[in-house]
Amino acid sequence: MNFGIVVFPGTNCDRDCYYVIKDILNQPVRFIWHRENDLKGIDCVVLPGGFSYGDYLRAGAIARFSPIMSSVKEFADKGGLVIGICNGFQILTEAGLLPGALGRNRSLKFICRYVDLIIERNDTPFTLEFKKGEIIRMPIAHNEGSYYIDDISKIEKQVVLRYYGENPNGAIDNIAGIVNERGNVFGLMPHPERCSEKILGSEDGLRIFKSIVRSL
Amino acid sequence: MEKVKLLYEGKAKRVYSTDSEDQFVIEFKDTATAFDGLKKAEIPGKGEANCMISSKIFELLTIRGIKNHYIRRLSEREMLVKSLKIFPIEVIIRNRVAGSMAKRLGLEEGKALERPVVEFCYKSDELHDPMINEDHILALGLATESELSTIKEMALKTNEILIEFFRQCNLDLIDMKFEFGKDSQGEVYLADEISPDTCRLWESGTTTSWDKDRFRRDLGGVEEAYREVKQRVINTPIESRARILIRLKPGILDAQGSVILNALRSLGFTEVLEVRTGKLLELKVDRKIDEPERIERMCKDLLANPVMENYQWEWEE
Repeated sequence: MNFGIVVFPGTNCDRDCYYVIKDILNQPVRFIWHRENDLKGIDCVVLPGGFSYGDYLRAGAIARFSPIMSSVKEFADKGGLVIGICNGFQILTEAGLLPGALGRNRSLKFICRYVDLIIERNDTPFTLEFKKGEIIRMPIAHNEGSYYIDDISKIEKQVVLRYYGENPNGAIDNIAGIVNERGNVFGLMPHPERCSEKILGSEDGLRIFKSIVRSL
Repeated sequence: MEKVKLLYEGKAKRVYSTDSEDQFVIEFKDTATAFDGLKKAEIPGKGEANCMISSKIFELLTIRGIKNHYIRRLSEREMLVKSLKIFPIEVIIRNRVAGSMAKRLGLEEGKALERPVVEFCYKSDELHDPMINEDHILALGLATESELSTIKEMALKTNEILIEFFRQCNLDLIDMKFEFGKDSQGEVYLADEISPDTCRLWESGTTTSWDKDRFRRDLGGVEEAYREVKQRVINTPIESRARILIRLKPGILDAQGSVILNALRSLGFTEVLEVRTGKLLELKVDRKIDEPERIERMCKDLLANPVMENYQWEWEE
């Protein structure tokens, strides 16, 4: 399983993802600078978290025009796996690869802490390692994570992850992660790369990466 | 905007009423006449050229603070304008000697003038638009003293703006004819058209004519001249500012707005019931033509997120 981690100016979770994939899962992985457009040999594209382009205008709004994003779009159209974490999720919605948008947290505060989540679907390549209805723990760290869509019924079946218990940011219907209709593009606000080792308090994140590896 | 009724058909234009009382549609024709209609011809493309040229120049004048009747262009040969009561006066501004001034005073065409000359003519086809002076205008009640001084001031200011604009088109503005009108509140506006039919335009630094004189004097290349001026005018950018306001769609929680609301109310401003925040973007743009569509695209493609934001924009005047 070949992973490609896209790096935009302002991305800051790229190294963490690289470490988890390379050193914990022993999978081949390379960084892809956003000015490149070559995804040859890649099986799964990771859009990691951070503050691409300083979150100017709107989180993810500028990054979607980077040259690599047209290749990512093509890649996704052909069925390639794409996972967008936090800012990566914001970029995917801005690019139209996932429906909806991510607005400012209801509290107006940057939130950085563990949250409980419920697995709504385990039939996606990103959640094979979970049971449906399972409660897991992952950290969130964002200022614009409040998921919004005008008509929730349109994506009901695409919800993969929901906040469980308390809704930290005001997301509509407690949505924390969704896939596209085809199921090969996944966006989520929590950071699985930050909870992939016991020493960090949870290994639930690692199971997402393991699911991706297993799916192939 | 629908044309309702033909109100007036002139030599070069038709004016229609619309379903709005204070708006007219002007349609530019290809017909050209000269010497009080003695000479008449169809010049293909003239109507379109004059409409495009006038639209762009009225937009420029609006930005530069000259009140004019232009609202927007509806098609290649139609524009929507404010309905006005037109003063029966033609205002002529001359920067250099040409046409009737050369003939009347026996001067050489192209002779430079110490300062711009303002002339007035009484609009009357039967009388062949005779020249009158300011006393005639006031004595005959064609305009009031304050209207006349506004008209003169606006005409001279417009001349300055147009000299500079046409210089960028590599054209010398020799002279021009303006018409003015007033709205129901008595506000004075520049009206009619601004085109090679109403301006003498010479290739910069030469006496080569790019205006209606080509037709009047059988110089040939009439169609080409209108097309050339149209191209030059369209391609000359006007630096303008667009102001774009982006707001969350109604119904979407504006958390920042709520916090500001609470702060205001806790300061005793209890009359405040709701606060919505937004983003204001000011764009400086080199405007050519059809920029409105381009600004719309900027908003849709990047500036606003259509899932949760609305936008509105305007040209800063």
